[in-house]
Amino acid sequence: MYELFKNLGSWLVSGEQWSGSDGIGHRLAEHLQYSLLATLVAAAIALPLGLLIGHTGRGAFVAINLASFGRALPTVGLVVLVFLASGLSMWPVYVALVALAVPAIVTNTYAGMNAVDPDVRDAARGQGMRWYQVLFQVELPLALPLIMTGLRLALIQVVATATIAAYVSFGGLGRYVFDGLAQRDLVQVLGGAVLVAVVAVVLDLALSGLQRVLFRHRPA
Amino acid sequence: MNRRTLLGGLFAAASVPALAACSSGITSLDGEGNVGSGGGSSKNGITIGTANFTENQVLGYLYAAVLDAAGVKTNVRPNLGTREILIPALKGGDIDLLPEYQGALLHYIDPKSKATEEGEMQNALAMALPAGLQVLPYGMAEDSDAFAVTRETADKYGLSSLADLKKQNGRLVIGAAPEVKKREVGVVGLKDVYGVEFKEFKSLDSSGPLVKGALKKGDVDVANLFTTDTDIQANGWVVLTDPKNLVPGQHVVPLIADRKADSTVRKALAELGNVLTTADLTELNRQVDKDKKDPEDVANTYAEKKGLTKK
Amino acid sequence: MTTDWSWIGDHTDDLTTLTFSHLQAAFSAVFFGLLISLPLAVVAHRIRPLRGLLLGLSNVLFTIPSIAVFVLLLPVSGLTRTTTVIGLTIYTLVVLLRNTVEGLDSVPAKTKEAAKAMGTRPLRALLTVELPLALPVIMAGVRIATVMSISLVSVATYIGDGGLGQLFTDGFQRNFPTPVIVGVVLTLLLALVADALLVAVQYVLTPWTHRKQRAA
Repeated sequence: MYELFKNLGSWLVSGEQWSGSDGIGHRLAEHLQYSLLATLVAAAIALPLGLLIGHTGRGAFVAINLASFGRALPTVGLVVLVFLASGLSMWPVYVALVALAVPAIVTNTYAGMNAVDPDVRDAARGQGMRWYQVLFQVELPLALPLIMTGLRLALIQVVATATIAAYVSFGGLGRYVFDGLAQRDLVQVLGGAVLVAVVAVVLDLALSGLQRVLFRHRPA
Repeated sequence: MNRRTLLGGLFAAASVPALAACSSGITSLDGEGNVGSGGGSSKNGITIGTANFTENQVLGYLYAAVLDAAGVKTNVRPNLGTREILIPALKGGDIDLLPEYQGALLHYIDPKSKATEEGEMQNALAMALPAGLQVLPYGMAEDSDAFAVTRETADKYGLSSLADLKKQNGRLVIGAAPEVKKREVGVVGLKDVYGVEFKEFKSLDSSGPLVKGALKKGDVDVANLFTTDTDIQANGWVVLTDPKNLVPGQHVVPLIADRKADSTVRKALAELGNVLTTADLTELNRQVDKDKKDPEDVANTYAEKKGLTKK
Repeated sequence: MTTDWSWIGDHTDDLTTLTFSHLQAAFSAVFFGLLISLPLAVVAHRIRPLRGLLLGLSNVLFTIPSIAVFVLLLPVSGLTRTTTVIGLTIYTLVVLLRNTVEGLDSVPAKTKEAAKAMGTRPLRALLTVELPLALPVIMAGVRIATVMSISLVSVATYIGDGGLGQLFTDGFQRNFPTPVIVGVVLTLLLALVADALLVAVQYVLTPWTHRKQRAA
């Protein structure tokens, strides 16, 4: 174990390891691209859905149980299935990552909306606010903390799972994990895993920072 | 005490299925119902490990078929990974027997070995293998590594042999399983022997859907395939010749833990080795990959047809 | 994609074996996860500084790709079921530890004081008062951990295990969707059934929660 971590140190700092198409820089950029794009697409699908369900109260059962479904979905199977259907393309990666992220965002968005005090909502309506004003000026700001929790959870999971891109011939930090497995080069595997964890933690911190900035503008 | 019984109930309910699962799990912690991994002699059964490509599984099940017929209990573990993963597992006792390939195995054990002729390689292997492991006599069937290009690529760059690749140094992309990047019979040897340098190495799979798909699509120019893959012919791909013998002879050879290599096992596997031809193996691979038959069924049917399962 | 549904009928034995192997891995992981997280959670609940450390550590574990965990365990436990179970257990800890700590936190201080006033010894109070009251939250964690484990088992196919996950690698290598579809559907079904069973177990174990609701 000690040897492994010592070698990890030299793996991480060697200049050779950082340059070229298999270099850490390039793999990091690929990994970020897969993760951020997938989370953005997922948010574009899941946020409206969660807000709609939360606002109307219709489909609450789906929203609550979607998270469980998302957790149950075996990513490896989904990737292979889409691969067999689409051939060598990025589809398997993005479909699997989006499918992973959507449930977490929908469920948390719904939970946030559902936690809004009905009295507040009624009061807003009583003041003559239109439905979209209620949604965007009252419900959304109140639901924001939980919505952000959902986004952060989704992003962490997506970053960790984007490793799978390497299984279907693509890059990202998963390349080190899968190549390291095939070559039984555990330093490479550990390096890949550590980098993925660092990316996840850094992105999570960034989002929580963003959350804090957003809250500062919220009327008390 | 109502609550105490509740808590008792919690533990009972939570642990019963898990405990049941575990108690059956602990006896077979080294695999699902592995027979006798790590145990002495073949009488305790033999666990056959296989690599992550079709042919190796067919071979594993062929070994199982003939060994079962000889009265040796077997357990085949498909898809365990690459040689780099399998050989440590064999040393560690997780598995007992592996279908291997002479030249590739030799280069893994001793990258500097100059042996090329079958007999030489067999001797070199006997010398170089770590204590506790041995190879049994090699069989007739052979499956070599091939470096193939599409007809168009061959015409475009004037490629017919591995030596021709050097003229295109820095221009071509090679696709192969990740381990080939570090293997002598792979990127390392292509550079040492032929002076070939690629623009990029793409980590794909062992003559599987990724590398073949990438070659078809043009994502890679050169693909590392197996000579027993019928897709080479079906697609009219050009296998580059190997004038400097980079790729050694790759006869199928059983690699086994000493403790399991008794006379029953030797005899059964030798018989199989003397019957199974390269053409047979190619056809069995095709049945699995194209007709979607189970490797196990394909192997059993073949062994029966060839009279290998008769006493 | 060419599917061949007769494949299912021809492989019921294999599918049964793989399903049991799959469940064994998942349930063992949840069991060992509980075994480890219960005492750790009690410690984290009592000793505040440790709480942040333990929960933080388990959060970081969650960001490590599961395939890497399995591979990194190879020098320790080889190509075995043990590797699969250890790897999965690590992931269950993330959920179980958090929920157990939160469950213990949710026990009202007054209840604990009452138990103390009645002269209940600390260990006994923990076993007969705190843990039962924390049960709903703990069970929520057990449900999540179980569903997650059932889904994650298939990742171990990369180290030659993985229960139903073996159907994924098989289908992938042979360009054969049928086993993959069957594997995905069976995994989802197992997760669904296991989750429903745990809901039922929780219902039986915590009668006061629904009794209270009815009274209210």
